[in-house]
Amino acid sequence: MEIDELKRDWLDQDFDEMEFEAKAEEIVDFATASGETAPRFVDPSHPDFQAPPTFVTRFHGRRLLPEEFPKLGLPLDAGKAVIQKRPIRAGSRLLGRSHLHDIYEKTGRSGRMVFLVSRMELYEDGQLASIVDSRMVIREKPTG
Amino acid sequence: MSGKAFSDIEFGEDLPAFKPDTSLANVTKFAKAVGMMTGRFTDHEAARKQGLPGAIVPGIMSQAMLAALVHRWAQNATIEKIDTIFRAPVLVDQEHAISGVVTDMDEDEHRIEIDLTLENAAGETRVLGTATVRLP
Repeated sequence: MEIDELKRDWLDQDFDEMEFEAKAEEIVDFATASGETAPRFVDPSHPDFQAPPTFVTRFHGRRLLPEEFPKLGLPLDAGKAVIQKRPIRAGSRLLGRSHLHDIYEKTGRSGRMVFLVSRMELYEDGQLASIVDSRMVIREKPTG
Repeated sequence: MSGKAFSDIEFGEDLPAFKPDTSLANVTKFAKAVGMMTGRFTDHEAARKQGLPGAIVPGIMSQAMLAALVHRWAQNATIEKIDTIFRAPVLVDQEHAISGVVTDMDEDEHRIEIDLTLENAAGETRVLGTATVRLP
């Protein structure tokens, strides 16, 4: 399947929407288990208590790809990027909307690999709070 | 470590490395906090049955550990973006080290870029990252 065709048919269309809540206990456990020591991440009584920037990666939608997206192969986790626009506080209620943000390919000795970037934008009170890009790689099945 | 100012930072500066807690108990605590209580993260035997050498650290935990290095170095740092590549599994109950180095500085915006690496005891890179960080 041609990459240009996939981009034309699938990019920038919302395919999932879910609501999430940031809970203080989960923020503290996430922060302490990952080695954070700054009081603003590990002490709920701190006046600037907030989630570490990558806490939002714990929010998962119902799916990583649109329901009818072509089955190119098994998608493997290739990486993740988080862009923080504003702090996530305990009790924050977030609306996550997902779309395919990018599709590109790389060709190596073992054949073509297709990269898919699924983007979840998280909004609080209508303001963009955080962006999570999940990169998946699919090693194309050899044909013939 | 307390807060830092942009003027304190030098291009090429190494962040003090730290050894993350990759024990089964700690990874299980993280998995519970993020709703990922599956055998591949919390049970060596279950992970082996899935073809893995043992339980593995969730990718998002490795990423959070890279972010923690930045905050342990400068508690007041604001990470605006962190991008991570999961190159190979990070095995639970094995020693790892996280390191970082300042690779770019924008004096006008007080932003710096930090390359981050998570290695196992053999010195093999398992996870790579880049953080864009703002300091006062």
